[in-house]
This record gives sequence, structure tokens and C-alpha cells, in this order.
Amino acid sequence: MSDAKILDAKIPEGPVQDKWTSHKFNMKLVNPANKRKHTVIVVGTGLAGASAAASLGELGYNVLNFCIQDSPRRAHSVAAQGGINAAKNYQNDGDSVYRLFYDTVKGGDFRAREANVHRLAEVSTSIIDQCAAQGVPFAREYGGTLANRSFGGAQVSRTFYARGQTGQQLLLGAYGALMRQVEAGSVKLFPRREMLDLVKVDDLARGIICRNLVSGELERYAADAVLLCTGGYSTVFYLSTNAVNCNATAAWRCYKRGAYFANPCFTQIHPTCIPRMGETQSKLTLMSESLRNDGRVWVPLKKGDDRKPSDIPENERDYYLETKYPAFGNLVPRDIASRSAKEVCDEGRGVGPTGYAVYLDFGDAINRLGKEAIRQRYGNLFSMYHEITGDDPYETPMMIYPAPHYTMGGLWVDYNLMTTVDGLFALGEANFSDHGSNRLGASALMQGLSDGYFVIPYTLGNYIASTSMKAVDTDAPEFDQVEKEVQEYIDNLMSMDGDKTADEYHRQLGNIMIDKVGMSRDTEGLNWALEEIPKIREEFWKNLRIPGDAKDYNKELEKAGRVADFLELGELMARDALERNESCGGHFRVESQDEEGEAKRDDENYCHAAAWRYLGLGDTPELVKEPLHYENVIPSTRSYK
Amino acid sequence: MNISSLQPSSVLKKLLTGITGLSLVLFLIAHLAGNLTMFAGPEVFNAYARFLHHFMHGMFIRFAEFGLLAFFIVHIWSGISVQLSKRKARPSRYAYAGNAGGPSKKSLHSLNMAISGGIILLFVVVHLINFKYADHDAIGTMTLQDGTVAVNVYKLVVQTFQGSFLLVLFYMAAMAVLCSHLMHGIWSAFQSLGATRPSTIPFLHATGIAIAIALAVGFFLLPLMVYLMRGTFDADALPAAHAEHARNLLESVIRG
Amino acid sequence: MKINLKIWRQSGPDAPGRLVDYSIDGIDQSQSFLEMLDTLNEKIIKDGGEPVAFESDCREGICGNCGLVINGVAHGEKGACTTCEVRMRSFQDGDTVTIEPFRAKAFPIIKDLVINRSAFDRIMAKGGYVAVNTGSAQDANLLPVHKDAAEAAMDSAACIGCGACVAACPNASASLFVGAKISQYTWLPQGQVERSTRALGMVKQMDAEGFGDCSNHAECEAACPKEISIANISRMRREYTKALFAEQGS
Repeated sequence: MSDAKILDAKIPEGPVQDKWTSHKFNMKLVNPANKRKHTVIVVGTGLAGASAAASLGELGYNVLNFCIQDSPRRAHSVAAQGGINAAKNYQNDGDSVYRLFYDTVKGGDFRAREANVHRLAEVSTSIIDQCAAQGVPFAREYGGTLANRSFGGAQVSRTFYARGQTGQQLLLGAYGALMRQVEAGSVKLFPRREMLDLVKVDDLARGIICRNLVSGELERYAADAVLLCTGGYSTVFYLSTNAVNCNATAAWRCYKRGAYFANPCFTQIHPTCIPRMGETQSKLTLMSESLRNDGRVWVPLKKGDDRKPSDIPENERDYYLETKYPAFGNLVPRDIASRSAKEVCDEGRGVGPTGYAVYLDFGDAINRLGKEAIRQRYGNLFSMYHEITGDDPYETPMMIYPAPHYTMGGLWVDYNLMTTVDGLFALGEANFSDHGSNRLGASALMQGLSDGYFVIPYTLGNYIASTSMKAVDTDAPEFDQVEKEVQEYIDNLMSMDGDKTADEYHRQLGNIMIDKVGMSRDTEGLNWALEEIPKIREEFWKNLRIPGDAKDYNKELEKAGRVADFLELGELMARDALERNESCGGHFRVESQDEEGEAKRDDENYCHAAAWRYLGLGDTPELVKEPLHYENVIPSTRSYK
Repeated sequence: MNISSLQPSSVLKKLLTGITGLSLVLFLIAHLAGNLTMFAGPEVFNAYARFLHHFMHGMFIRFAEFGLLAFFIVHIWSGISVQLSKRKARPSRYAYAGNAGGPSKKSLHSLNMAISGGIILLFVVVHLINFKYADHDAIGTMTLQDGTVAVNVYKLVVQTFQGSFLLVLFYMAAMAVLCSHLMHGIWSAFQSLGATRPSTIPFLHATGIAIAIALAVGFFLLPLMVYLMRGTFDADALPAAHAEHARNLLESVIRG
Repeated sequence: MKINLKIWRQSGPDAPGRLVDYSIDGIDQSQSFLEMLDTLNEKIIKDGGEPVAFESDCREGICGNCGLVINGVAHGEKGACTTCEVRMRSFQDGDTVTIEPFRAKAFPIIKDLVINRSAFDRIMAKGGYVAVNTGSAQDANLLPVHKDAAEAAMDSAACIGCGACVAACPNASASLFVGAKISQYTWLPQGQVERSTRALGMVKQMDAEGFGDCSNHAECEAACPKEISIANISRMRREYTKALFAEQGS
């Protein structure tokens, strides 16, 4: 590994407040009449993808938009419950762009790029305006103005929400904008297509190879730029809060074509999920973090106390977050809440059938505000919980446990959201840029929409206007070559006729990942994972069974391709986690903690983004660093006490 | 007005079904009120019939009949069209049919509107043959107390129902079918017209059922009582006897 | 527990389909219905067969991707939930469960239980949005919305586009889906400008897709996982009728 190579993020000069403004002015523009001559591929239709495709279509580009779902409206952004942050300061409680910027950098534990975060905070206000204008039914006050709540770790009320379905409503807003462009003819929609590879011509990203998930045929599409808006990779853990079809395949295949993958070990384990119930469980259900506003987290003081929660008197309960973090209490950032839950459970004080759960108690809130007020705020979450577990949270405390939820890592991008492959951009959760090592609640929606509505329309124009490229169509030999490779890959997958299903390998990998590369990591475990994962991968490529035909609707083939990639990505995550011998944000290295067991960051050695460059299967990838500079928010030890 | 969108869309079709349906219900209410004059004896009933036929020099009844026919045709056309769309919209049927329950208003009534509608159509044809197209000359006339001469439709009704128990049964069965049609039809018309609100849907649904039952019972009573109470309903009753007739009727009702 | 299944198998859009019997043992009460099908598929694959094609994604009732007709009822008999939210707790040992796809001409079957619902997207393209280009919005608080109106809009906007309304409707009508979308914007100031064109456009496309007419059975509301009221259909009809008589630009 060479440390000599350093990535240039192309951050504009000037004070952080002025960077985006001056950059917008300095970037080149594409002549309005010429935009329709440029084709842009957008992969994914979540908040980032739909907003980018719609906005680029509005500008006049010829957009090709792909998604694996049957409709763009189903992208996993739809499942975000809690809300979206914006520095509107409508509540007059001291919020500002700078404070949102500050909170996000600090919340990310000083592993995010300042310039990106500031831009995110700047455009956050426009996002709310845009979404309100689209008719997103945000919660309102009686006077008709927008309502806000305080959310996960924030001391100001800056979170906008639409009941517990904020992601759905924002996505439907973006989807509406997208469908409007489809109707206008500027966006062409390709649902049920999975991007399986990137086609480069003269080292520029110029197209993709997709599998039509209905016919099984491979399809080629050419363009002047490719935008990956394909989300995160939490499903590498098998059990996560993500949708079962979420995957890293598009991003991973781009990694193998030269896009660096940054900070893969930065994953977020969400503190408030419904605990695991059984062996065949296929996913974990998230309960919105907003629940922590009114719910109090506790476990019994005594180990192995298996009394009913109502039988445990107040003085035998340990409200561990309130005691340990008096200033923030139940609202500490996600990583702290998650790790604290794991700690008390590891001590043997966990509750529920597996002992891996803690109580989230609404008793006090119900007494204080009344059942009706609680129903107003959390009605749908409570009924969801009731459905899944059979317990009524109005009567008995909820049980929660952390679950993989979001991945801060992703393809490395510069300030313009371009990866290390020219012409290949990554937006939203698919990139690594804005959340550092830990994402604050209600910031994912903000980032997806920021990238799609307000960043890429400018930076893509600059790329197109300043890059000379020849005309390319899908008959180019580069397309022949890549399609051939994809076909061989599929043939290999189909040819094994082994006796294990893709899901079985996925579960096997997931167990290793959650155990060794999950909430806390240590050298021994990571090394073990680095040995085990290749073994599973090897077996996978010998003993996989995919029924049916590749030229047909074939869910097992889809899964197999994704699991194959996870089996490589999982290894990279472990490698990255091992390499980063510090604790920061969601990445907790057992070796790096203070006397009280709090995470210890190492700014001297690790104040960088770790980007990995693919060198071939089986070869150790090269680590390339992007040093991070903090000119505004001076790194300090995060303290939520 | 946007003419291009006036091709009958699914919404417009339902609008027409609703308007015509509700109008026909209003007609039924008026018809029932008229029928009930039978209970007041031949004088009142025949006078009522004569009034209908001579009002506005006979123009009223022509208009009303024409209007009814038109509404009927539109109602039938839109009903058939809904049925056809239903077939086309689901060419392969479920192997296993279930009900979601809860707020669903799906019922045998709602599912069989076409069949109940068809039976009602058949009934209407029979009904018209029985009365409208009966040989009115053969029935004769009756001089009312004020000296005017009226066709003796009272006699026609009494003779018709007392002449065939099967016919009475058919009328009763048809009214049961009408009831079924209206149990879904009345509230549904309001919904089709967009005249419902979340809060009024349960009320309209219940009221619709109540009106349906009331109408059916109202219509069904007349043939039944005419058939059963031969002493009271006398085909040859004279107008002067109407006061006595009413008294007799009252007594017979009291006696049970 | 043991569950007997009758599942609709159909190899392609034009292939004939039929109900096939399966039986699966060792199902746990805590499993979801789809996890039961996962278990079945794993067994089928191990036995050398081809698994039952069905779709799901979020598995928490919000993406609208899953949708099966379970014992004749879209999303199952429990109501107010999606197929992925149905738990095996609600079945008894030895039960026989019939599973069919959502059936409608406008939702052609792709394979087994997988259907094509892109008709909904095409309806949405005809006006299921407020036409506002990125960047041209005013400050959000300059558009006050009454709290009750925002709530009512949210009630309608809760639609997940799963198509259960169509599946449940004896006529295979999409009126609830279209009604909900049209209704959402009637409550909001943002939606007023395109009110007429939206109602006319979306209804026209709904008809063109081959959905049936609505006969007010209200079975859609009963099957809707988000409990969207048929009052939305009533509202759609009001909007449509008003639009028929509306002058251009009003």
C-alpha cells in the first residue's frame, strides 16, 4: 500500500460559506439548446435518483432512468419514517445554516468533508421549499405554518415531517416530478432493470449494461455521463432495516471498473428497531427514532431480571442513557445509543426472549400528555409494533434493539460528486461524502434530495461543458466487451448446480458481518472475518444453486449476483475497519476507547477518508487517502454528557 | 365546458347512473304515494288517475312517461356498460373469492345489480302490460261525485290482482328484487354523484337501505291486500260507497 | 405448525396458470407470511424445483411492492396491512391457504404471483403531481395550509400504490388509487392551479388502461392497507364533474 497517492477532492477556494456560491458561478454552463443533445443515465429512483432525473429532465437533458423495482415509487427512500432536516430556523430556537453544518460535522465525528457538509446545510432550506411546493403534506401548525420536531441528537427543532412517512411523501414528490418529465418526454423510464456493469470509453463513463429483470436479456445504454443513485449496502449484514432488494451491485461493479470505494466500514446501526425474533427472519423493522423524543430507554438494574416490565419498580430500573448522558439523555446520537444498548445486553441485563433487547417506555409520556397525544404522534408506529410483536406499546414498554440501517461509506466522490472514474457520479447514500463516520437523524433524506435537486444539475453541466468526448453508441467495441464479460459472469453463476441457495450464503456472511464488523470491532475478529469471508466466497462459487433460466424472470439469479458482490464488499469492509485503528462515529474499535469505555478518535493518524482502489479479485486493494481539513469546526472529543 | 372529455368516461357513466337512478327512486316514491290512494277507495283512486291523465291537457303524463323512458334507457345502458367493463377488466377470475369485511359494502345486493336490474326491467314490462296497455275500454268508466267521468282503473287493479295469485306472487317477488337493487343503489347513487363525505357515507348507506325497504314494503302491500281482502276491495264498488268503503277497510284492519 | 398451500403458478404472461398444492411443516408463529414463502421456496429449490415467483421489497408495509390475494382477499383477511405485514400468528396449524396474484387486465401477470403495475405510473404521469420545476419554489411558509387540510391531504397521500384496491374490486377498478391522488391536491393550495387538468387527465388515463368502472362496493377501502376511504372516490367524481364544466384556466 502506498500512502503517497492522495486524492484531490477539488474543493473550491475561499471561506466555507462562500465555496458553493463561488463554485456555482465559476462552473461552466451547457447551452440550453445543447442540453437535449446530451444523454444522462441515472441509475436508481430513490430520493437522489428521482430528484436528479427530474431536475435534469427539466433542464432539458435527455435522461435515461433505471430502477430494479417495478415502479420508481418503490425505491427504499420510501421507508424513511422520521423526517428531514433543514436550517430554516422557523422555530426561532437558534438554528442556522452554520449550526446545521456544525452539528453534522460534529455528529459525523470529524470524518466528513467540511465543504460538502456546508453545501448540504446551505441547500437544505431550498429542499423544504421545493417539497412544500410539490404538495408534500408536511405536518402543520394551526396557523398553517410548517411544524418541526427535534430529532436524534439535535438540540434545535429543525426536522420537518409528514407523520411517520416522511420518506414516502418526499419520494412521492420526487416521483411526481419524475413522472411529469416522463410525460414530457425528457426522461425515459426503465423499470425492472438491474445495472450490472459500467462501460468506459476512453476512460470516461459512457454507458451501462443492464439485465432486464423480466426477460433476462442484457441491454446496453450509452450516455455522456452516468449517475449512480443506488443507495447503501446495509443488506451486506443480511438482516437490516433495508428493503430486501437493496444491494451494492451497481456501486460494486463500478468499484471494479476503477471507482474508489471510500470508508466502507462506516456503517450505522440504528438504535430503535424491533428485536430479532427467529431464524428465518428476513429483515428487521425500524421504529422511527422520533420515538426517543418521548420514550425512555431502560433495562433492569439486576442481571437476568425476567419479571414483567410493569413489575419492576422504578428504583430497580436503569435509565442508562439518562444517567450516562444527562445533557442529551435519550436523544444521544445513534451510534452511542446503539453501542450502549449492546453494552447493557452484553452485561446480561438485556430483556426479551433473546436477551438482546432494551425497553423503550412510553408510560411517563402517556401519563404526562395523555394517550391521545401519543397516538397523534406515533399512532402508526405503535400499531406497526403491535402487529409485529403482538404487544401493545400503550400498555407495555416496547422492546428495541439496534439494527444495521445506513451506510455512510460508499463510492468516493469529489466536491462535484464525481467518482474517480470521469463521468461517473454517485449521489445520495451511494456516495461517502457528507456524513463522516456517523449520520445524524433526518439527514439522509436531506442529502439525497440535496444531491439530486440542487447539486448535480450544476456540477454535471460543468462536467459536460468542460469535457470533450466523442460520440459513442451501443455498437462500440467497449460495449461488446463489457457485455461479454457480464454474460460470462452470469453463465458462471448459473452453471454451478450446487446445493446451497444464495440466501444461505447471504445469511452466513451476514452473521460474520454483524458479529465481527458490526457495532464493535477488534483486530482479532476482523482478521478472522478476513479469513472466513474468502472461504465462503470460494464455496459460493462452487456450490451455489440457482434454479430456472437466466433468460427469464429469475429472482434467485438476481439474489446470487448481489450476494456475490456482498461477499467481496464484506471483505473490504473488514479490511477498512482493520486499517482504521481508531474509534469514530459508527466505527468502534475495541482497542481504541478511553477509561470509561467511550470511543477514542485518533485525529493524528486517521483524519482522512480511506478510499480503496480495486486491483483485481484476491489482490489486496490499494488504500488511497483523502486528508480531511477542519478549518471551521475544530475537532474536539464528542461529548454528549 | 370541455366537450372533448364528454365521451362517457367511467366517472361520467356513474354520474349518469346515479342521476337517473335517483330520479327513478323519486318517481317510485311518487308512484307509491299514488298507489296508496287505492286504500281510500275507487272515488279517490280513479280521480287521482284521471287527474294524472288530464293535467296540463295530458301533456304532463306524456312528458313524464317520455322522461321516465329516457332515464330508464340511460340507466340500463350505463348499467350494462359497467357490467361489460367489469368482464373486460378482469378476464381471469379468482379461484377463491373472499370478502375483506370491515368498511366493505360489497354484498349480494351490490354484486348482483345487473341481475336485479334485469328482473326489474322484466317486471316493468309485465307491469305496463297489466295496467298501462290493458284494454281500458273494456274496463268501463265511472262517474265521479263531481260528475266527471273517469276510466275505472280501480276496477282494473282489483280485477288484475284478484284474478291471479301467481301474478301477486310475481309482484311481490319483483318488489323484493327491487328492494335488493335499491339497498345498494340509493346510497351508491349519492356516492356516484360525489355527494358523499367521509362522515355521511355510513348515514347515507343506512338511509338508503331504510328507503329501499320502505318502498318495497309499500309496493308489496297493495297487491297482497287486494288479493287477500276481497270484501274490502270490490271491483264493482260504487263511488258513493267510498265513505263506507273506507270505514270497512279501517274496521278490517283493526280486526286484523 | 403445518400449512397447506394452493399457489397460483403461471410460467409467463400468456401461459396457462393453475393452482398447485404445497405443504410445508415447521412454520413458526413469529414468521411473516412472506418468510413462510421464503422457507417454502428454499425447500423447493433444494428439491430441484423452481421457486414460486413473488415480489416484496421493504417488508414493512410502505413500498407497495408485495401483494398477494390470500384466501380470496387482497393482502389477506386481517385488513389494514400489506401482505408482508401478515404474520403466521393469524393462521392455525393445518390451515389451507390459497394464494393468487392480483388479477386485472391492467395488471398483466409476469410470472406466478408477479404482476406488472406500470399502468399506475402512466396514470400518475397524467397529473399526479404539482408541476413545479426545481428551484422555482417560494419559501415554504408563504403557503400556509390549514392543519386539518394538511392532515386530510396526508390521509389521501398515504397510498402506497400497491394495487390492492384494483385486486379487491369486483370490477377491477382503480378509482381508489386515482381518487386518493386527486384528493391529496384538492386539499392543498399548491394543487389548485392544475385541479381541472389533473382530474380529467388522470381519469382519462385510468379508463384507457382498461380498469373497470367503480360500482361503489367499497371493497377497495376494506382491502386498502392504508385504510384510504372511498370518500376519495366521491371527491374524485366531484373534481371531475367540476372540471367538465370548468373554463380553461379556472
